[in-house]
Amino acid sequence: MRPPIPTKSSAALIALVAVQAFCIVFFLSDVFADFQEAGGKPTSHLLIEAMAALTLIIAILFELRYMLTLIRRKERLEQSLDQASRAVFDVIESHFDDWRLSPAERDVAGFLVKGMSIAEIAQLRGNAEGTIKAHLNAIYRKSGTTNRGEMLSLLIDTLIGARPSA
Amino acid sequence: MKTAMNGTMDDRVTSVRPPARKRTRVWDPLVRLFHWSLVSCFAANALFVDGENDLHLVFGYTIIGLVGFRLLWGFVGGQYARFKSFPPSAQDALEQGADMVSGRVHIHVGHTPLGALMIYNLLLTLSVIGLSGYLMTTDMFWGVEWPEEVHKIAVDWAEVSVVLHIAAVIFESYRTKVNLPRAMVTGYKDLPE
Repeated sequence: MRPPIPTKSSAALIALVAVQAFCIVFFLSDVFADFQEAGGKPTSHLLIEAMAALTLIIAILFELRYMLTLIRRKERLEQSLDQASRAVFDVIESHFDDWRLSPAERDVAGFLVKGMSIAEIAQLRGNAEGTIKAHLNAIYRKSGTTNRGEMLSLLIDTLIGARPSA
Repeated sequence: MKTAMNGTMDDRVTSVRPPARKRTRVWDPLVRLFHWSLVSCFAANALFVDGENDLHLVFGYTIIGLVGFRLLWGFVGGQYARFKSFPPSAQDALEQGADMVSGRVHIHVGHTPLGALMIYNLLLTLSVIGLSGYLMTTDMFWGVEWPEEVHKIAVDWAEVSVVLHIAAVIFESYRTKVNLPRAMVTGYKDLPE
């Protein structure tokens, strides 16, 4: 269900962090070795090298923080998407309640909303197509519509706020 | 709250009992032997035995042998030892990162995705260390500097990786409530049902 993080960019990101981490280890050990060689006296050359290593560390920290922010944001989006789809489901269910559909009719109406054909619904429910057509007639009669399009626009009207929720 | 009102000691003990756990065999004996032999040899060479000492070469060749064995075992070994069971996947690794950030716990029976990346990193780094170390002993590279440079850099990187590996194992054990160091000793993980 969860939309995956794009593979290519995540691989690139991990590779980038790994290479930078490797460079940091290299620079820091180099600075340390040179510092010892210089007899513990920091030269301007060493200072600049140390600064380069330090800023690289800071850059990685920013990168990681940015990555975590992205991950968190993605999580929040998923949550709101989850809530939104639940709200859509609620609207549809409340219409079905309102129309006093029987359990079998609810089932068929659910498939109908998902865009399945009569033949598909019949196959899924193990009914004859005639049975499904009978259910469909009952659904249209109870909802005061005459076809699938009208029934769907009733639901959509409520979702976009053109009609008060049932 | 209910136990506090009933007030008996027994109730309280029952209420804090951890959820049921399933002992699952994960690491075969050779994987464990490999792991701890590698730990010993690497620690010996990195911390105690310097390059001038003949023992350094003995441990070094042992490590090369161990890495060679692990590469082979990755194809013919036990279920969770095989590379097939922990393919490198950036997406799964980030997913695990997201779990760590958001506090979600997703139990991995074998290696975790980030753990898998660390294994490939260590195997590669140890190979570089072994190869560059071997080159330093050959007549062909007598007096040539770069094998030693490579050797030193790779060792630095390996040491940082090991520290990160240990930190991650401790953190993940604490977070997922599965004792990972013990699993590498006994071979079993106590996984939640």
